[in-house]
Amino acid sequence: MKTLRVQKLTAVIPTASMADIAFLLIIFFMLTTSFSPVKMGVDLADAMSREEVDKDAAIIAIGPGGEMEISNGVNPGNRINSLDELDLFIQEVLVQDPTKQFIIKADRNIRYDVFNAVYEKLRNNNCRRIALLTQTVPAKASE
Amino acid sequence: MAIQVRNRIPAEIPTASMADIAFLLIIFFMLTSVFSSNFGLEYGLPKNEPLTEVQPQEAIHIHIAGPGQYLVDKRAATLPQIAGYLDMKLKQNPKKPVIVQTDPDVPYFATIEVLDLCKQLRVESVSIPTSSEVAVWAGFAGGIGGTTR
Repeated sequence: MKTLRVQKLTAVIPTASMADIAFLLIIFFMLTTSFSPVKMGVDLADAMSREEVDKDAAIIAIGPGGEMEISNGVNPGNRINSLDELDLFIQEVLVQDPTKQFIIKADRNIRYDVFNAVYEKLRNNNCRRIALLTQTVPAKASE
Repeated sequence: MAIQVRNRIPAEIPTASMADIAFLLIIFFMLTSVFSSNFGLEYGLPKNEPLTEVQPQEAIHIHIAGPGQYLVDKRAATLPQIAGYLDMKLKQNPKKPVIVQTDPDVPYFATIEVLDLCKQLRVESVSIPTSSEVAVWAGFAGGIGGTTR
């Protein structure tokens, strides 16, 4: 009587393509991610109509407590404590590029007079291009 | 004479740890990157030109007294009613200017709601007066809506 040899199959999970998938993911993240020089987290106001703003625009972030962070769009953001500092910053940016766009990245719940103070400084310094940063309207739970 | 059997060493680049390195990089990028929102409402201001005089009846005046509390040309209205009113007025005159005035204690998002509505209706000229302008205009008999830039 012949005895049958049982061939042992080794259990292997093929991981050769794992690195390719991971590198594809890295490339995807690197291409789609845009870094923001301003790190202040704000809850933006919702809007349906939105336009893309300049990538190198100067940013004025206003937090929920009225705290402010500024960046010329290239350098990392700096916290400021007074509107005089903001005034100086706007002047410096506009001297270098009078057509520079300013993005106001304000928290949705700040009082209007806080926004107005920043807006007034921009108007007084003859800033021509302002963008008010918004986010897409979130889908309603019932929809 | 004994024949030596050569042990062939296969040429292989060890790639077993490649996936680990790649995933570590992904985790690093995900933790350190801050996603920025690059979309918003653009608002262009006019150049230093002589001011354009606008008659009070020419401009539409939207006064925001609170979230959901609007006055359009001194009449209370809801956001959909404002949309209907603006649409009707813009059909008569597509270049009709709109002045959006907000009270100081109103949350910022209420203003954005109205500005968003104006953008959706393709209003060509939207004016956001500063508080000092509002104070100056309040002194005139016609109040706000008399002059816009």
